[in-house]
Amino acid sequence: MNYDTYPEIRPGRKTLKRIYIAVMLFIVGRAIQAACRTDSTVRKEFLNFKDGFAFSLGVYPFGPWMVVGRDEKGRAKYLGWNPEGKKIPLKMNIKNVESAMLVFTFMESTSVAFARNRFMVDGDLVDALAIVRVLDLVEVYLLPKLIAKLAVKRYPKWSELSPVKKHLGRIVIYTRALLGF
Amino acid sequence: MFLPDYYEFCARVKTVAGHRALDRIPEMLTTLGASRPMIVTDKGVAGAGLIKLVNGAMKGSKAKVGALYDEVPPDSEYTIVNAAAKLYRAKKCDSIIAVGGGSVLDTAKGINILVSLGGSNILDYEGAGAVKRKLKPMIAIPTTSGTGSEVTLVAVIADHKKKVKMAFTSYFLLPDIALLDSRMTKTLPPFLTAPTAMDALTHACEAYYCLAKNPLSDATALAAIRLISANLLKVIKKPADLQGRLDLANGAILGGMAFSNSLVGLVHNLGHATGGACGVPHGVCMSLFLPYGLEYNMHKRAKEIGELLFPLAGPEVYAATPLKQRPEKTIEFIRKMNQDLHDATGGRHARFLKEIVDREGRQMVPKEKLPDIARTAQGDGTKVYNPEEINYDDALMVLEHAYEGTPLDRRKIKKG
Repeated sequence: MNYDTYPEIRPGRKTLKRIYIAVMLFIVGRAIQAACRTDSTVRKEFLNFKDGFAFSLGVYPFGPWMVVGRDEKGRAKYLGWNPEGKKIPLKMNIKNVESAMLVFTFMESTSVAFARNRFMVDGDLVDALAIVRVLDLVEVYLLPKLIAKLAVKRYPKWSELSPVKKHLGRIVIYTRALLGF
Repeated sequence: MFLPDYYEFCARVKTVAGHRALDRIPEMLTTLGASRPMIVTDKGVAGAGLIKLVNGAMKGSKAKVGALYDEVPPDSEYTIVNAAAKLYRAKKCDSIIAVGGGSVLDTAKGINILVSLGGSNILDYEGAGAVKRKLKPMIAIPTTSGTGSEVTLVAVIADHKKKVKMAFTSYFLLPDIALLDSRMTKTLPPFLTAPTAMDALTHACEAYYCLAKNPLSDATALAAIRLISANLLKVIKKPADLQGRLDLANGAILGGMAFSNSLVGLVHNLGHATGGACGVPHGVCMSLFLPYGLEYNMHKRAKEIGELLFPLAGPEVYAATPLKQRPEKTIEFIRKMNQDLHDATGGRHARFLKEIVDREGRQMVPKEKLPDIARTAQGDGTKVYNPEEINYDDALMVLEHAYEGTPLDRRKIKKG
């Protein structure tokens, strides 16, 4: 038998999709840092985390990821894309690139992605739920209503987030996310 | 039939059900490669003579019970798991037979995590996905017809200091064998049969309308509802009805299969939080929150809630109820079930929060605790799977109605 006629197949890396997800994670990570300095709800969520808290969100097994931590003042800090060598109490991984694409192209809300078993959560579930709330709010700030409604279960009512606060917050968060402060 | 774009369903627990199913234990242990099980149970189960039945079934076999741990409390916590895991190791056991209600079965799952994967603190494995490989052989023998834990991938274990209940989720938490024997639930008194069976009914109802519903969970949920609805009051009135007991046990396991795959929402969210904050038994919370879960999600799931009327009330009532009125009729039917159970148990089956009392007759859920419960519910994973968003204000609003026993004011429900 000629074994060479039975070739090994190396799966591709889906490079373009991974680049797209990496860019989205970078924007969301920096936006969480910015939102924590702009929105009181996000700030409160981070104040409730323990000292030294950090979480990673990314794609299993090769990434990309984003890492966000809580600094000594209780604020969110974007810690880059590489979780290696960092102490991360909460690791949230989407199980594969295609599932991550569904989430980051807003074809599936975070809740539906959880319900469809697309996430692996390693860490305190209470913290994970707080992160989901933060992500939902950040998406409301970053995305136009039409798209954000696909990403969150219930778009905030005016009584919960006034249009003025939302639009001003959006400008500030985008500016801070771009400039990184 | 509802067909989502994508779903997952896993029900790989071998189920052995019958009036003398316990007799199969020795052979089942052999097929699992085990011979020295640790029995995990509670004082109530042992006191009712149920462990004697298990031991009796093992007579004449090669298997020996390595240890009997009967100190699981009604609302087990992680320290119990850690202590029992030490005993398992000290007695060189090789498998677990869990005999009891939800608290016992979930404790046994926690013990199995520690003795299989190593470590001394179960909290290290909290969350979804932390348990990544096969555990030691486990046989689950429920003594209530409610929890469904014998076929679920989740263990709920409390931290009493923090007053929270934590979920441990993994397909590896599915026991190897679920064993339903009608003798094991025969002695369960009516005031416990009622809320535990309502717990099973809640699993099935929530499974039918929550986010991960799918055709297979729908099929098991509808079968569960039919069995429970047809047998619950019958068994409450005649506790020794072995066929009714077996039917209820089958309803509970089907409900367990359904919710283990489609998960649960608001009813469990508030139930876990109320249990964690005030120590209210899980089944009691389920009974009284179930109508509120249906009402809260009505605007998103009217069709599904209407469909529940068929297995609940039977074909005649279903056919005689106009399509538009079926969702309301379903809720009305469940409220009536709670009322009937309240009457049949001499008032021991609570219908609303302020009615719940402990053994000394003290109110278990004071009104001032409601904000705490609403806050705790925000940290419970089941909120993710509810069709409608549940924020702190939403949870508090539902709790206030459930406290008084009044229906929800639908205008107050924020619609997403």
